[in-house]
Amino acid sequence: MRLWASRGGREPQTVPEALRRAEQRRREGRDAEAAALVARVLELDPDNLHAHLLAAYLHVARRATAPARQEFRWVLGHDANHARALLGLAGIALEEGDAHECRDLLRRALRFYPEFPEATALLEAVRTREAAPPPAAANATAAPRVDRLRLPGTGRALIIGRADGGLIASQPVADDAKDVSEALARTLQLAAATLGRAGLGPLHRAIVEDDHDAVFTRTDGDLVVSLALPRATDPTQGLLDLNRLWSATLHELGLAAGPPAAAPSSTPADTPVDRTRRVS
Amino acid sequence: MSGPRLKLALEYDSTSRGRHVRDIVSELKRQHWVRGALIVAADGFVIAAELPGTIEVDSMAALAATLGRELETSAQRLGRPSFCTALFSADDGTMFLAASRIGYLVVLAEQQVNVQAIRGALAEAVGLIDAAWAGEAAG
Repeated sequence: MRLWASRGGREPQTVPEALRRAEQRRREGRDAEAAALVARVLELDPDNLHAHLLAAYLHVARRATAPARQEFRWVLGHDANHARALLGLAGIALEEGDAHECRDLLRRALRFYPEFPEATALLEAVRTREAAPPPAAANATAAPRVDRLRLPGTGRALIIGRADGGLIASQPVADDAKDVSEALARTLQLAAATLGRAGLGPLHRAIVEDDHDAVFTRTDGDLVVSLALPRATDPTQGLLDLNRLWSATLHELGLAAGPPAAAPSSTPADTPVDRTRRVS
Repeated sequence: MSGPRLKLALEYDSTSRGRHVRDIVSELKRQHWVRGALIVAADGFVIAAELPGTIEVDSMAALAATLGRELETSAQRLGRPSFCTALFSADDGTMFLAASRIGYLVVLAEQQVNVQAIRGALAEAVGLIDAAWAGEAAG
């Protein structure tokens, strides 16, 4: 099918060529140009499944969930077992916190295409998440006395939780601490799955930075201790502070022998002594 | 990073951006103690990758993109700024993740890696992407 007249030989002449060029633009990170090509194809060939799928991807890439879902559903309306559309919808479901829906969609995709590595990897991550028991409310008797856990002078917030997202304690006490603990758990579970896929082994520490804060987190797969510090914090110092709070938390929870950390300057035995800012 | 020269957006023609993004990944891969690097769009589409043969690229990219989106959506739900960089340290290495205009930059490194060096390299890579894609309107 001829689409449009050539102007200088650079514009695509046919639908397949336009779609090929749209794919190429995506590979170059030129999503706006790819979207323009796809939109043009859909004007001329509204039932083109490949174009609808590309449109869905481009919506996901610009974080437009609703139109992405609509396009993925359009594809499934024309091919009920389209594996990539099922994977796309599964990703959206996971983003929205619906792990059951995500798992069902992935299983549907894998039923028809068992050799689908992306779906397999995502299903593993979802299984990890679902294997964890649902978050429970903090148990007052098990909660450590966080007032004894001294935040460093620049510390902004401390979250102590379980790997399943259950909040044990926070400092300062905040309304959204439970939500933060659950979000932290979701992130750590996905990070653990990604590290596993890369062959790097179990997750121990994380540092997540935004424009304001650097959030230092330590976990052993059961317990999670997370400390928010200013973004400008030296990573080594942040990890020293985190390790001190980790040891003190274990003590407060009765999981470790020895006295709690008494002062911000105390250094637990497992603190890295190398000052070259290595964290592993 | 000393590889790709910082260019203005207008200096890029239709083919050089593709090469530029591959150069950025190559430069990250050349850092000391780095095993591999990739750039993946938010939907899991692999824009460029240099990973060891033992790692299946598409599944790695799918998980990295899902992790990046989780970091973004969590921050959004909690009314906080979105993440710029993240580092996840494990028994046998460290994974770095950085948000950019076109997707997530991922670096997989050995345990011995100099964290500050990689953070610097990632910041420069994000800067290069921002400069090159400055004219790209939101899709």
